[in-house]
Amino acid sequence: MITLALDIVTTAAILFIVSAGLLIVFGVMKIINFAHASFITVGAYAALVASRFGLPPVLAPALAFLAGGLIGAAAERVVVRRLYGRPLDAILATWGLSIVIGQLVTLAFGREVQFVPAPITGTVMIFGEDYSGYRLLMVAAAIVIAALFTGLLNGTRLGLSTRAVIMNETLAQGLGIDSTRVRLITFGIGCGLAAIAGALITPLASVDPNMGLSWLIGAFMLVMISGGSLLTLGLSCFVLGGLQVLASTFISPILGGLTIAVLAAVALRLRPEGFARA
Amino acid sequence: MASFSLPGLPRWLVRVGIPAVVAMVLVVAGPWILDTYTLNILVRALFVAIAAITVDVLWGFSGTLTFGQSAFFGIGAYALAIGFTQFGFGPWQALLALGAAVALAAAVAGFVGWLSFYPGSTPLYASVISLVLPIVVVQILYSGGSFTGSSSGLVGFESFDLSLEGWFRLAGGAVIAVLVLASVALSSDAGRVLSAMRDNDERCSYLGIDTSLVRIALTVVAGVVAALAGFGYVGFSGVAAPENAGFVFGTQLVVMVALGGRGSLIGAVVGALVIEVASAYLSSSLPFVWELIVGVAFVVVIVVLPGGLFGSLRDVGTMIRHRTGAAPARASSSVTLATLMRAAVVPDRNDVVVEAEGVSKHFGSLSVLSGVSFTARQGELVSIVGPNGAGKTTLIRCLADGRERSEGTVRVAGRSIDRLAPDRIVRLGLGRKFQAASVFETLNVADCLRIARVRGERPSFVGASPVLALPAAARAVVESSGLAERLSEEARFLSHGLKQALELAMVLALEPQVLLLDEPTAGLTRAERQGFAGILTDLVARERLCVLIIEHDLDFVRKISSRIILLHQGRVALDGPVSDVVDDPLIREIYTGNNRPKEAR
Repeated sequence: MITLALDIVTTAAILFIVSAGLLIVFGVMKIINFAHASFITVGAYAALVASRFGLPPVLAPALAFLAGGLIGAAAERVVVRRLYGRPLDAILATWGLSIVIGQLVTLAFGREVQFVPAPITGTVMIFGEDYSGYRLLMVAAAIVIAALFTGLLNGTRLGLSTRAVIMNETLAQGLGIDSTRVRLITFGIGCGLAAIAGALITPLASVDPNMGLSWLIGAFMLVMISGGSLLTLGLSCFVLGGLQVLASTFISPILGGLTIAVLAAVALRLRPEGFARA
Repeated sequence: MASFSLPGLPRWLVRVGIPAVVAMVLVVAGPWILDTYTLNILVRALFVAIAAITVDVLWGFSGTLTFGQSAFFGIGAYALAIGFTQFGFGPWQALLALGAAVALAAAVAGFVGWLSFYPGSTPLYASVISLVLPIVVVQILYSGGSFTGSSSGLVGFESFDLSLEGWFRLAGGAVIAVLVLASVALSSDAGRVLSAMRDNDERCSYLGIDTSLVRIALTVVAGVVAALAGFGYVGFSGVAAPENAGFVFGTQLVVMVALGGRGSLIGAVVGALVIEVASAYLSSSLPFVWELIVGVAFVVVIVVLPGGLFGSLRDVGTMIRHRTGAAPARASSSVTLATLMRAAVVPDRNDVVVEAEGVSKHFGSLSVLSGVSFTARQGELVSIVGPNGAGKTTLIRCLADGRERSEGTVRVAGRSIDRLAPDRIVRLGLGRKFQAASVFETLNVADCLRIARVRGERPSFVGASPVLALPAAARAVVESSGLAERLSEEARFLSHGLKQALELAMVLALEPQVLLLDEPTAGLTRAERQGFAGILTDLVARERLCVLIIEHDLDFVRKISSRIILLHQGRVALDGPVSDVVDDPLIREIYTGNNRPKEAR
């Protein structure tokens, strides 16, 4: 029972970490970054490189953020910027981008599956149960990401500009806010966050050039259903992630794998604008 | 496409028939020229090309970006594999498997269509559903144990005993057949509806077309065709794998169509064949570099050449024709106008045709309309005036779309509009012209008007009619505005005034009893405005239409109206004959924000 509850909490935390970057891009730019999956992969390989060079594990997410953020910013500059008026084309172009990044990663690191050791191994005694310490760490990581993000959005000048662009881009431009710069930074941060997610989840999974893909649809559906708010994203991760754990445990893991996509699709049919204002 | 014509043959037959015959010759001759390896790859590629055509029809023609056609391909593939594995190979087993493929694909497509398309659905949502579909199908395949072969798929069943040459000719023939059918259907009058929906879904529903139903039907047809392609693919290869139904294959189909050219059927086929064949040859010599090249090409095409290879070729062709001054050969340049006799008997005069009772609209705690009640009769021209934010446009919306109002009842021609979608209310006899001219940008003027007649006359699925029959009122607008000379011009090249006239003509082509106009004269020149006033008063006097018009220009209102309703802060402040309302102190008070009417002048 306690294990199940911990599974739900940690699954929700992992889903949140994986979707946060996508949400930020969608919330500010109203486009869906289908290259999100490949930035997760980039982060995972950054973690792999960090562990090969014997860097302390704490630096892995930082290195991942740097790599993901820089590649993301470059991609925004070259490709995404031209597609703001064409949201469906932006999905396609970012998908093409993910093919390109995936192949570059393959050329650089090979196609084989590789492993990154977890910084903390073994189990922790919690509520009288032994539970994976690294999974528990994910909950802390999710909270840190959410807190940092809220702080950035509400406590800084960039955050203020960003919120202005979210609410009314034309007006924000009229007030002298450089929305192009806001978009560039947002896309960079979104991709950087995806890379952090990749670095964080690698000890739980293996590393290969297509590893990000399995997370893409789940993250995408969670973002759609959350309607662009960080709070509802957390909530939907908790509810849908919880249902996924329950379905996998009590019915079948295969059904569990479908839970998020199917439930989110049905929920969106009933409430197309997502649950941001629910 | 060839723009020459042969005497005595319909143009579409020349345009479609000659390339089809040439392609047929190639398909028959292919096995004598090509080696076995290439033939092998081409057979698969041809079946994939059929699936790519369905993606192109859905995305390029009707505007629904789909990643899910692979799921239908997979359904067809597994119907054959499971059928032959379970029951062995034989004629009735083949028929059974084929029947299962078609029935299952149609059922799934119907469900997916119902889920994706409903009044107010967004194209993005349909794409979302199309993403989920292949994932669900693949998971079901994984969980099917030995029945579906799980992750390794099904292999080793006996299949059709056909030579490689036979398969090549079969697959080639199937591609040509699908191409011919699709291009004939798409260039017919009925096929134009798809482009109209892609350009402007809302306008379509306000012309009485149930766009959700059309899109669901198209999804079913595309699903069945893709399933047949998958059926053939596995019949030939003898292997059904979960990848055949997967999301990645679904995106590959989109890549093929994007590179070849969305909206060009040949482009989809060429894109599919080139990518499939080149992948087969290059993936062994340049394993990852080849996919990298495809990825880069895809990004470049989406960003720089959204029309893809064939779209760009078409643009270049148009440019050269413009440069050389050659007259563009357009089928519709030969369209002639005709007047449609009014079939319906004009009902009793002075009937009440619009009845609003206690209509309210709230956005949360904000009340935009509260308890608006009024009636309007045939042969009345009622102007709705009021300052910005008075709720005028909201009122129009509440009359034209049953789902808009929060409370109250609305009757059009004596029938309650309940919660009906716009296309159903149009059928009750209501036409709505939007504030900003809403037409079909990439369709020519004649086709725009034809779409407006789709509800009245069943359009042909095979040909384009050379006659455009319009009701007298619509034809009068077309002729007096000068649109009659520009029937073959694309709507996006028209001036603002002409677009407004075109939209009015389209709405009038519906033969409405009630006409809703939202600031129709905004941005028009003085002369255009005068002409417009003439048209309106004529409609009311001769056709006994009931016209509700939102207008700011009080002089214009005074000239044309038989009655004025003043809306203020979401309520009916005044309702009466022109002279009473215009001279009422309240109207000056509201418009000048000043309650000393005598000094306001």
